Amino acid sequence: MTEQAALEVKNLHVAYGAKQVVQDVSLKFPARQITAMIGASGSGKSTVLRSLNRMNDDLATVTGTINFHGLNINQPDVNVYRVRQRIGMVFQQPTPFPLSIYENVIYGLRLAGERDRRVLDQRVEESLRQAALWDEVKDQLKASALALSGGQQQRLCIARTLAVRPEIILMDEPTSALDPVSTSQIEETLVQLKEQFTIIMVTHNMQQASRSADWTAFMHQGRLVEFGPTAQIFMNPQEEQTADYLSGKFG
Amino acid sequence: MRAEKVDKIATTVVLALAGLTGLAVVSFLVYLLVVGLPNVSWHFLFSPAESFKSGGGIRDQLFNSLYLVVLTMLVSVPLALCAAIYLSEYAPQNRLTALLRLAIEVLSSLPSVVIGLFGYLVFVLQFGLDFSLLAGALALTILNLPLLTRSCEDALRQVPALQRQAGLGLGMSKWRVTTKIVLPAALSGIITGAILSAGRIFGEAAALIYTAGQSAPAISYTDWNPFSPTSFLNPLRPAETLAVHIWKVNSEGLVPDARAVSNGSAAVLIITILAFNLLARLVGSLIKRRLAK
Repeated sequence: MTEQAALEVKNLHVAYGAKQVVQDVSLKFPARQITAMIGASGSGKSTVLRSLNRMNDDLATVTGTINFHGLNINQPDVNVYRVRQRIGMVFQQPTPFPLSIYENVIYGLRLAGERDRRVLDQRVEESLRQAALWDEVKDQLKASALALSGGQQQRLCIARTLAVRPEIILMDEPTSALDPVSTSQIEETLVQLKEQFTIIMVTHNMQQASRSADWTAFMHQGRLVEFGPTAQIFMNPQEEQTADYLSGKFG
Repeated sequence: MRAEKVDKIATTVVLALAGLTGLAVVSFLVYLLVVGLPNVSWHFLFSPAESFKSGGGIRDQLFNSLYLVVLTMLVSVPLALCAAIYLSEYAPQNRLTALLRLAIEVLSSLPSVVIGLFGYLVFVLQFGLDFSLLAGALALTILNLPLLTRSCEDALRQVPALQRQAGLGLGMSKWRVTTKIVLPAALSGIITGAILSAGRIFGEAAALIYTAGQSAPAISYTDWNPFSPTSFLNPLRPAETLAVHIWKVNSEGLVPDARAVSNGSAAVLIITILAFNLLARLVGSLIKRRLAK
């Protein structure tokens, strides 16, 4: 692989108590590209994703190295809050806070101590534009975020993550709770976002992976089976398990 | 056909039993009010109690009850809230925390007389607080803590886990997620629980007889110095509450109108508790509406 890696995982193992759920995963996530992680339920793809910004800290034992700008962020003395500001996360279901649209977007910035109104205003517009939501909400920024539709709420959550200006955005099945129209809007948004951000996305939706991802990683029973350009994985998989999964033999 | 019949019978039985319970509670309430309210007047509410002649009021007892609730809440809300935050946000699932939960449950079923005697031995005698509002407030805190902790914990747990994850995903620390996301979302439930528990302790008598005492010495409502022995704010003065007053007037009252005084007091007590409950609902729904706006 000649691409520059935004994040490099080496020999990652994850266990919930005595149960080993991810075994020896090594992977380089290319910068400013979309990588999709696919696999059946329980294959460990979400667990890997959540380990990348240490969201599994309280739940699981994660061993192995995760290199981010030459630093192994999977060490106890690394500031996890700083890590999560650089590696943001968007969840399966929209999670707006019970506040206005404006306040939702700048939530992370506010907590980081930013007070300058002009900076906040500018960042709200920038983030909402990047998340392709600006045109729909620019006249109602003071309205409650809970009044938005599900798809709008999810794009708001993407904007909220973007507002802290992360480098990498992790997405855990970001469209699984949305209707097809909202889903395609989010997918279009993702393609624009990869100009500036590295996106790593877990999805159950094969079409979604083949439509929007540049790279695809296939996981099965806690192991990484195959990783490569999306076209190659879908058209010409090297491993039998990958081919079986894609053709619907299991999963 | 059979299933339909069973369904009909079950529905009838459930409705009848629910109606019976409702009827019992409502008729009890109506009885208290019908018998008690004619004895309640401005004079009754705002004049001090008499020891030997009739015509005494419940001014001091009513104030003592309210003041004691405030003191108890000042002690028990912070304690219960911290315990609830620990249990809901931080406590790992292990034997120690299981034991802690068991202890809280046992404490919540402790008879209030036992708490009163414990308070007498520990707060009144050992700590040398004598019969005082403070000793009463500490005893009521013991009574109140388990249920208040439980209701706060329930309120915190009802906040969706995804909200916490969203906060963590933005790089917020756990403490900030707790204070900035979880607490505000649980606030309505916490306040409702606190007001309801205030209503519950407002009517408590057994835990207070040997802690806050059974005497209501003359107090001055113009003396704002909490260290003065006659000040109404002094937390170290003995203070008979409304519920204790009802018990005392009934068991050893020397006033000729003991019956009327106790009936009137009971009506005032029940109306105040009703007010606490209505207030809890009102505040709870107001906060919810403000959050949803």
